Amino acid sequence: MGCCYSFFCNEDGSPQRGEPSERTHLLVDPVSNNSNIPIYNSEDFLSNSNALPKKTDEQSALNRILQETATNVIDVAALDSHNLQQHEYVERMRQYSLKLQQACASNKLPPRTKMCLLQDIPAPEKVLSSESVNPDDLRLINSAVTRAAAAISDIKVEHKEDMVVMFRVPD
Amino acid sequence: MEKQLDRVMDDVLSNPGVIGCVFADHQGLCLGAKGKASTDSAGIIGAITDQAAKLEPQHKSPVIVLENDTRTCIIQRSGTITGAIYKNI
Repeated sequence: MGCCYSFFCNEDGSPQRGEPSERTHLLVDPVSNNSNIPIYNSEDFLSNSNALPKKTDEQSALNRILQETATNVIDVAALDSHNLQQHEYVERMRQYSLKLQQACASNKLPPRTKMCLLQDIPAPEKVLSSESVNPDDLRLINSAVTRAAAAISDIKVEHKEDMVVMFRVPD
Repeated sequence: MEKQLDRVMDDVLSNPGVIGCVFADHQGLCLGAKGKASTDSAGIIGAITDQAAKLEPQHKSPVIVLENDTRTCIIQRSGTITGAIYKNI
């Protein structure tokens, strides 16, 4: 790959070296590839001092390719590895609990509203703590009902006339 | 016949604050009503007593007090007779 790239650089020599443009070949011509590509051995890079600038050029180009690839690729595995710091944890915890409280305050939970039987009474403790039935009233209703029951049980049909009347048919 | 019951109702109405009374039998039929009390309420009073008695069946018939800002209605059953007394507070 490095060889191919150096071949391009040498050939066009344009100001946009290495940058892809409308003139850059997507596929390398196989014929020219065979004939013109200078082949570098690993010894050449190491020993030849003239090849040093080319080597750094190549290195930077490789780095650029690497960077471009890195920007284009979405690394899913790397997303998970985003480490939360301790203070971030605390901050998020506070934020979530705040949101939870707000949600609970805005939406009254149905079980809580059903807990109170006396919903229509604004202050049930006032009603419940008030004194119970007046003893005079109790006495009044007791005597009235017992006397009424006695009076009802005394009701009798008063016999005044004969129930069966003989019709005297004149002969 | 019902003179005795009339006398009882007159006695009840003579109490201070009492404005009316009504008596119903075990079926909710009106036996008598005096003062500011409707004979139509006899059935409702009987039904209220029936329901309230179901709360604690082991005890004798309860006294039910309905109350608003100006009046109270006191209900109790004795035997087959249910009585209700209306009072001003």
